[in-house]
Amino acid sequence: MSTIDNIPVRQETALAETSGKRSNPLAHVFDELVKFCRSRSMFMLHYCTGCGAIELPPAMTSRFDMERLGIQPMVSPRQADILLITGYVSIKTLKRVILTYEQMPAPKYVIGICSCTVNGGMYWQSYATAKVLREYMPVDVYIAGCMPRPEAVISGLRKLMGDIESGRAESWKKYFQNYDYYLGNQQKLFGDHWQTPTDIVAEARHYELITEHTQGEHTALLEKHQKPLEALQMRLTNKEKQES
Amino acid sequence: MSMTELIIELTLMPLVAFVLGLGMVLMMRRIAARIQRRVGPPFLQPLYDIIKLYGKQTQISHGLIHEIGIIMAVGGYVAAETLLPVPGMNGLADKGGAITLAYVMMIPSLGLALGVGQCANPNGSIGISRALTAMLAYDIPFILVIFGAAYVYGTTNLADIIALQQQQGPGGWGIMQMPLLAIAGLLTLPAMMGKHPYEIYVAPAEIATGPMVEMGGKFMGGLFVMQCFQLYTVAVLYTTLFLGGGENWLTFLPKIFAVVAIPMSIAYVFPRYRTEDVVRLMWKWPVLVGLMGLAVIMK
Amino acid sequence: MSKDLNIWLDNLLEDIESVQFKRKSSRRVRVDVSSEALPALLELLQGHASYVHLSAISCVDWIDDDEFELVYHVWSYETRSLVSAHTRIPRDPGVYLSIYDLYQPAAFFERDIHEMFGVYFEGSPNMDKFILTEWEGPPPMRKEFDSEAFVNQTFSWEQYHPQWLKELEEQGGGITSRPEDVRR
Repeated sequence: MSTIDNIPVRQETALAETSGKRSNPLAHVFDELVKFCRSRSMFMLHYCTGCGAIELPPAMTSRFDMERLGIQPMVSPRQADILLITGYVSIKTLKRVILTYEQMPAPKYVIGICSCTVNGGMYWQSYATAKVLREYMPVDVYIAGCMPRPEAVISGLRKLMGDIESGRAESWKKYFQNYDYYLGNQQKLFGDHWQTPTDIVAEARHYELITEHTQGEHTALLEKHQKPLEALQMRLTNKEKQES
Repeated sequence: MSMTELIIELTLMPLVAFVLGLGMVLMMRRIAARIQRRVGPPFLQPLYDIIKLYGKQTQISHGLIHEIGIIMAVGGYVAAETLLPVPGMNGLADKGGAITLAYVMMIPSLGLALGVGQCANPNGSIGISRALTAMLAYDIPFILVIFGAAYVYGTTNLADIIALQQQQGPGGWGIMQMPLLAIAGLLTLPAMMGKHPYEIYVAPAEIATGPMVEMGGKFMGGLFVMQCFQLYTVAVLYTTLFLGGGENWLTFLPKIFAVVAIPMSIAYVFPRYRTEDVVRLMWKWPVLVGLMGLAVIMK
Repeated sequence: MSKDLNIWLDNLLEDIESVQFKRKSSRRVRVDVSSEALPALLELLQGHASYVHLSAISCVDWIDDDEFELVYHVWSYETRSLVSAHTRIPRDPGVYLSIYDLYQPAAFFERDIHEMFGVYFEGSPNMDKFILTEWEGPPPMRKEFDSEAFVNQTFSWEQYHPQWLKELEEQGGGITSRPEDVRR
């Protein structure tokens, strides 16, 4: 029989406390409205990583129209909600994908299309591709296939729409809450000098999503090696003058 | 008009413009979809887009001027709506005429240029320089058209222009009295709305949507609102000058939606012109037709 | 016309000593030549026999013979035939001459082979990495580099046991060859 001492106490996370601050009932209605609109109007980033990108134009054009679901392609990561990782992610590409992911404004969702993001897929023996995408950034929905047909892509997107509406698709928060884990995996692949222009820890502090997993040995390593980024200088040189 | 009525009208006119603009954006997307043989977005899609964009939890701003730029972009159009008479509400149309409206319609592009310049993204700078060049291009025939209309009606007061047209019935509409100028205006319409074939400043795949490349979240929501206002303003201005305005809402709404539908129907079968081609084209054909129209009127 | 040129080419190549010659079809000729004589052969083919287009340079790793085999594919627009010149270089220094002076596109292929096999081409203008810029390990196309072992060592695999698999196993079915057994 459990006594009062060993009944487990459930800790409320930081987010629940902040949402409790707005205790008027109208806030709840507004949140539901915004979640509904987020699920009905998704802007996908037109950055297609590997060979699976060939399945996106059929999903966007006449036959399997994605605009009926409210999904349109947007060009810049600042404007997009969904990052579609289509196909294999080579180490070179993974660096740029992580940079892009960190540039996107929250709330953002990652969809891993094709089997290569799940467990290596066709390129599982390759020294140059990342096997499990989930180790480097949080993924909301996987759509398996090689390549999945446009119907499968749309059905995966509809699953994401359902998840957004019900509130289950909160993986962008996981990035801030477990940043140390993701940074550790990234540093294992890219070396200790890996850094991005975005200051994730400060952002986590801003959103009040810091947990004990946000900072750890890997973020300490990042701070040790971090160089402040300078703006690129534009200089016009005359090559012939230099040689002569 | 008493002060309270004026304040009510000043608040309602931009709201009406926003709602009708949403309808026009939906119509534009539906027409594009039907031309491409697909279905198109559902009915409230533009509203979902705007609410979602305003509901973004991250706001990436490049400084104060960036935000001022967006406020100018949206605010310029809000000011323009108060100068456009709609059936039942005249707003400030008596106090400022077509010339004031032409000036106020230039403020959004300039504000956007300020904001995009602060972004320091080369794609944005290229895009906004193209947008300002295109504005230079379409302003010449636009001013010709306004001048011709003012000459024929003898006034630049838009409310009086509507009253003069409605007095004479459909035969007295601007399109009957000055057909060449109406054609010149119709040729300038796609450029003023920023649609194909004059869509060079957006150029999605070439310069990553140009001015909008660093705008995310609420800024993008503001730009979407600006697009609604842009379509509405151009349509209502054309209707006021050439199609007799609207005696009541039942006749007004089909006119403004028809004015938007005509350029949209041809827009989505065109690629886009280069910037210098836009300037050359705008300064050739609409200007020629407009000058011929002026010559016919002023005889 | 092209058949005559082919006959002349065959006669010429058969006469040269350190060259082994085999015509595979009307458009394909295979030539085996020693590594000292290859640049001279290519220069002859380019200048005198109209083989002006370098299609590709490939490399084969014969680890048992302890040699690299370099294959130079040159194409002629006039005879419309491809000559593949094969040569072997010892694996240990893995150094060879570059033919950048004869064919400029060779720089690209030589850079690629240097990155993938570790063969250094003297005289090639740029030997920097361009494909595997973030790669710190050995040249990966060499046969001694075990890609699978490297992957098993560096990456971890996804652990998942989905619901449909559990249901199948309850009914007595399941996977016959597990990934863990295939991946040594």
